[in-house]
Amino acid sequence: MNLKLHIWRQKNNKANGAFEQYAVSDISEDMSFLEMLDVLNEDLIVEGKDPVAFDHDCREGICGACSMTINGNPHGPEKATTACQLHMRKFKDGQEVYIEPFRNKSFPVIRDLVVNRSALDRIIESGGYISVKTGSAPDANDIAVAKSKADVAMDAAACIGCGACVAACPNGAAMLFTSAKLKHLNVLPQGQAEKKKRTLAMVDQMDKEGFGSCTNHYECEAACPKSISVEFISEMNFEYAKARATAYRD
Amino acid sequence: MLGFLKSSILSKFVVAITGLLMVGFIIGHTLGNLLIYAGPEAINTYAVGLKDIGGVVWAMRIVLIISLILHVIATINLVRHNRKVAGNYKVTNHKAATFSSKFMAYAGLTILFFVLYHLAHFTFGVVDANAFSMEATLDNGRVVHDVYSMVVLGFRNVIVSLFYIIAVVFLGFHLKHGIHSMFQSLGIHGKKFTPMIQKVAALVSFVIVISLISIPISIMLGIVGGQV
Amino acid sequence: MSTLEGLHVIGEANFSDHGANRLGASALMQGLADGYFVLPYTIGNYLAKAELKKIDADTPECKATVKEVEDKINKLINVNGTKTPSYFHRKLGKLMWDKVGMARNEAGLKHALEEIPKIREEFWKDVKISGTGAEYNISLEKASRVADFLEFAEIMAYDALDRDESAGAHFREEHQTPDGEAKRNDDDYRYVAAWEYKGVGQRPELHKEQLEFENVKLAVRSYK
Repeated sequence: MNLKLHIWRQKNNKANGAFEQYAVSDISEDMSFLEMLDVLNEDLIVEGKDPVAFDHDCREGICGACSMTINGNPHGPEKATTACQLHMRKFKDGQEVYIEPFRNKSFPVIRDLVVNRSALDRIIESGGYISVKTGSAPDANDIAVAKSKADVAMDAAACIGCGACVAACPNGAAMLFTSAKLKHLNVLPQGQAEKKKRTLAMVDQMDKEGFGSCTNHYECEAACPKSISVEFISEMNFEYAKARATAYRD
Repeated sequence: MLGFLKSSILSKFVVAITGLLMVGFIIGHTLGNLLIYAGPEAINTYAVGLKDIGGVVWAMRIVLIISLILHVIATINLVRHNRKVAGNYKVTNHKAATFSSKFMAYAGLTILFFVLYHLAHFTFGVVDANAFSMEATLDNGRVVHDVYSMVVLGFRNVIVSLFYIIAVVFLGFHLKHGIHSMFQSLGIHGKKFTPMIQKVAALVSFVIVISLISIPISIMLGIVGGQV
Repeated sequence: MSTLEGLHVIGEANFSDHGANRLGASALMQGLADGYFVLPYTIGNYLAKAELKKIDADTPECKATVKEVEDKINKLINVNGTKTPSYFHRKLGKLMWDKVGMARNEAGLKHALEEIPKIREEFWKDVKISGTGAEYNISLEKASRVADFLEFAEIMAYDALDRDESAGAHFREEHQTPDGEAKRNDDDYRYVAAWEYKGVGQRPELHKEQLEFENVKLAVRSYK
């Protein structure tokens, strides 16, 4: 199949970016979207042009590295699918495809489609952990975890931190990411001791990074390659307000 | 007092709680307005009844005014920040956002201007002083402010009615997203509850819109207020 | 800690409680075991006592390393040939898959040892990289990796050829039981091979670390 690509090209964070048009031909419909870009890049290198920079790593939908907005959808049109697992058979022969980076003020472009998502890392650093004493390992099943709680924690932990929720949000909010990371630990018995501190720290860091705020469009859930539920956002709202309201006690 | 503006979540809480208060007011106000179908006696008695319990009404008015101000300040603050930080795409292709959810700010601003006009018109009487100063005599002989005639005369003006209808339709969209959003923002949610409240929000908004716009339409068609 | 002060080797890269082949499950078990039991006693202990001084960028070692890296980048960019880094990656990958795969034999390994230097030579003559070394450059990054692969592939082939027995995922077709299982030769190959890099194109030097079994006896593992 043949495609007409409009790709965002930007040399670095300081430079102005613009779309450039590329035609790719003889693309197999079994290729992934990234493999299609690989093919384009091979041609570009031979022609002496700069290849299109894009993030990728595992290419099996679990690392959260790939990050591009395809025709207005982070990770492309397919539900619960990362760009690396998106197949070209989902596109029509001759289709025009606009490829843009994950856009947000807190995601500065490094080059072309590669953006710096370390703002999300800083949210994790601020409280996305459980403090444990080093020393001998606890016995297995020392702390009983209810199946229902383990299941919710797993659902939240499915977040691969790709930032598609941020890129998809018409408000530029990082609330789905932050709420999933909070819920993952806050629901487990091991996370209880630091629950309040964690909730305050991670939400405040989220605000400090300059992310927007949720007005319940639910674009994040629709774009999430792991289908993280917006219920987590609702819960984060409540937990945060509760933590702030009782913060005077500490 | 405005410290909550620094926090995205606390801002949302303020928007939700003030929104809830105003939704309560709108439901009450709509029910009161519908008394116009029961004739001048009913609505004028209702209106004077509200005045008679003065203190409570004033307390509610103060709460509502504060709510409105906080609601507007918080949302304008959020929207301005969000517009600044959100990605500006060449191609947008929303999967989940609805017309109502995207229209919130525009609807809100229109409603704000409408509310100011509406207050000037029917509460302060600065739009049409003659209609505002009309009096009616109740069945018990008491002479009161003639709300019935004021409303009928007001809505006979096509432009006033049109602005009213547009504002109420916008209010409908605002409520459809707002009522369900309130619960999500306050942390009330559930696999069954959230879809349910979305449907309830749509239904409540629809009923409010139909109830309210039926009044100017009835007046313009001469179904209500023919005798004024 | 490794033989280098401050360089800890832990988890998947650790020695081998769970088998020398880093297959998914054994690597995961090693990571879990080390994370739970070993790491709290080692790294924390080291960090608490270590004097972590800031390293000055002006030291001769630092300068030499920076220069080495810059030279390598310049060398790569100045080749300015006609073929992309991926072309060489694929070519090397195909050779390794066919000749140095899980089942390998003497003839194939010798063939690979002839071919790898040829690919490497072609790479350094004809690789094409866009852009410069002073920017975020994905073709330069890929080329640097492929350059490393081209050196490492050779050591893998040397090791596979040298170990004239079958063991785990190293299956020398010459050494198998009648029903196709790996046949070890513990008398001659009961050692860990550590290859010392002697420079590009030079035969690496083999250092043997003998394996001593005091409490368990070597036996054939059977999955049947």
